[in-house]
Amino acid sequence: MSNGFDGNTSLQPLPVSSGPSVVLRAEGLTKVYPAVAGAALGEVELFRGLDLTVHAGEMVAIVGDSGAGKSSLLHLLAALDKPTAGEVWCGESRLSTFTPKQAAEFRNREVGYVWQFHYLLPEFTALENIAMPLLARGMGRAAALEKAAFWLNEVGLSARGQHRSGELSGGEQQRISLARALVTEPEILLADEPTGDLDTRTGVAVFELIQGLHQAHGLTSILVTHNLDFAARCGRMLRLRQGRLEEQKNL
Amino acid sequence: MRFELFIAARYLRAKRRQAVVGVITAISVIGVAAGVAALIIALAITNGMRRDLQERLLGSTAHVDLMRVAADGMKDWRPLLERLRKVPHVTAAAPGLYGQVLISHGVRSGGGLIKGVLPEDEKTVGDLLQKIVEGSADALEPVSDAAAAQGLPAIVIGKDMAEDIGVRVGDSVMVTSPQGDLTPLGLVPKYQKYLVVGIFRSGFYQYDSSYAFMRLKDAQRLFSEPDLISVISFKVDDLYKADQVAKVIEQEAGKGFQTTSWMEQNRELFRALKLEQIVTFIVLALIVCVAALNILIALTMMVMEKTKDIAVLMSFGVTEEQVRRIFLLQGLLISVIGTALGLVVGYGASWAGGHYRFPLDAAVYSIDYLPFAPRAWDAVVVAAVSLGVSLVATIYPSSSAAKVLPAEALRYE
Ligand SMILES: Nc1ncnc2c1ncn2[C@@H]1O[C@H](COP(=O)(O)OP(=O)(O)OP(=O)(O)O)[C@@H](O)[C@H]1O
Ligand SMILES: [Mg+2]
Repeated sequence: MSNGFDGNTSLQPLPVSSGPSVVLRAEGLTKVYPAVAGAALGEVELFRGLDLTVHAGEMVAIVGDSGAGKSSLLHLLAALDKPTAGEVWCGESRLSTFTPKQAAEFRNREVGYVWQFHYLLPEFTALENIAMPLLARGMGRAAALEKAAFWLNEVGLSARGQHRSGELSGGEQQRISLARALVTEPEILLADEPTGDLDTRTGVAVFELIQGLHQAHGLTSILVTHNLDFAARCGRMLRLRQGRLEEQKNL
Repeated sequence: MRFELFIAARYLRAKRRQAVVGVITAISVIGVAAGVAALIIALAITNGMRRDLQERLLGSTAHVDLMRVAADGMKDWRPLLERLRKVPHVTAAAPGLYGQVLISHGVRSGGGLIKGVLPEDEKTVGDLLQKIVEGSADALEPVSDAAAAQGLPAIVIGKDMAEDIGVRVGDSVMVTSPQGDLTPLGLVPKYQKYLVVGIFRSGFYQYDSSYAFMRLKDAQRLFSEPDLISVISFKVDDLYKADQVAKVIEQEAGKGFQTTSWMEQNRELFRALKLEQIVTFIVLALIVCVAALNILIALTMMVMEKTKDIAVLMSFGVTEEQVRRIFLLQGLLISVIGTALGLVVGYGASWAGGHYRFPLDAAVYSIDYLPFAPRAWDAVVVAAVSLGVSLVATIYPSSSAAKVLPAEALRYE
């Protein structure tokens, strides 16, 4: 698998600056889906040489047309996928060097991920769903559930811990999945259209919850959204267009 | 491992999104249970048959027989017998004189093997004389020669022979020995009339159709052998050590003697039984394999149903190994539950079968009920086979679960 070292031999360690430290940095990121022989699928190039630097405590909104590659970018930042070329740095770690086990550990400890769909596991209660990432890393059940209860309270649903996902509303489900993303106390929160499936009022509530938690817990967040209003309320807005991220002037 | 078990157990218990997965899971459990129960029951029966056969066989025959290598017989046998009785592990010993004869009654006759015995001793090494179904063996007891010279000497024959030549207790038979007397006219077969005093039935055709017992003295007279015996039969305290004890007896007896143990005499029979048991095992193990196939299908469908969930688990740091173990454990749980169920049913049925005897047609099977002899060791072997086969069945689904690519699986809802 190509990890694109060749094009990035000039990469230097991050310069020490006085401002907030850089948490996440993408350099020369390229993602190309190769043509599939047999099927009528040509090569799909999402972006080539994409750069992104995110500082600690920032809340970055990424907007862009459908199919621009926003979700694909978040997958790369979360080590859920490997880039065709380029490198993602998280602090001192280079994601392209991770073994599958290290990548799993990275996802467990460093990032929390929220999708447009809640993806809660239907066989488990809300509380168990939240505790899941902690249980997966081997934490004892009692300790994990205690932490989960704290985050259940943080998303304002302390009363619904014993309910299964099927018994919760869309907004509640999304709050639970937010709690699950944050229960490991990650540095980075990645949210891919977390309000996309919700009606306007619920969407606003969830967005404001994310914003509140971002500030309260000193997170570094990247939010993909189609909602320009929400995007404008983030500290920084980037538009993914034709494989490049363009800084947008706040309105 | 705790985490994987937590997920696997919950997945098994939870209501399925696709009902068919739940149905196949249930079928897998039942299949494993059925296979395991069938194996346990079949092994209990074959084992019971073998034990039953062995018991009856060993009741009828001695554990070890000592003979001369040459055909000369043992002359000064009394001190030898006393000496061999003291060999460790020997619990009983009895002298005997064998001879081939023709036994006839009127116009019907059949070949027989006479064993001249001392009844008191014979009863300690074989129980044919205790299996009298008609008359009694008491008349074989030593009587004074004078008394014996009066009426006809006594003979006890097997049930099948009695039917073949058409005699009952109280009838007399003519016994003809080819070891006749040498006369000026050449070798004249010797014959003698005997009174049938008892008829025995052991259940073994070989014995019931050809064996006949008479007093040692009478046999010696018939075969014109003055105070000679041809065999000393032994019982030992541990059947399965008969081979070793036989060697010691052989050494103790000295040159010119040889021994055979019951194992050697019946080697073919027990080999056939063992083979039958192995074939039964293999055939029934196929049921377990079919059940394992169900596990494979159930798990494969479960993996397909849960691709998104697997991707989600991976997205928050569950490793490929953990995912593999989750599905492996699910397969094992199905197998463990099925196996446990099967063991309970199998041993329960075996116990019930032994307790409420299952009647058989004695004329056909020579035993009047189905013998069940469940062994604890069978459970270990059967459980190992069942779990092993199931484990193999989980390899494919669990590794395909571990291969899920989260970025692909979570792309579109
Ligand atoms: N495995 C693949 N092979 C080829 N093309 C792919 C593959 N996966 C995704 N794509 C393409 O990559 C493009 C970007 O997809 P992505 O989901 O990242 O877009 P997006 O910006 O998140 O869009 P949306 O706003 O609709 O969620 C799409 O055109 C999609 O068809
Ligand atoms: Mg998307």
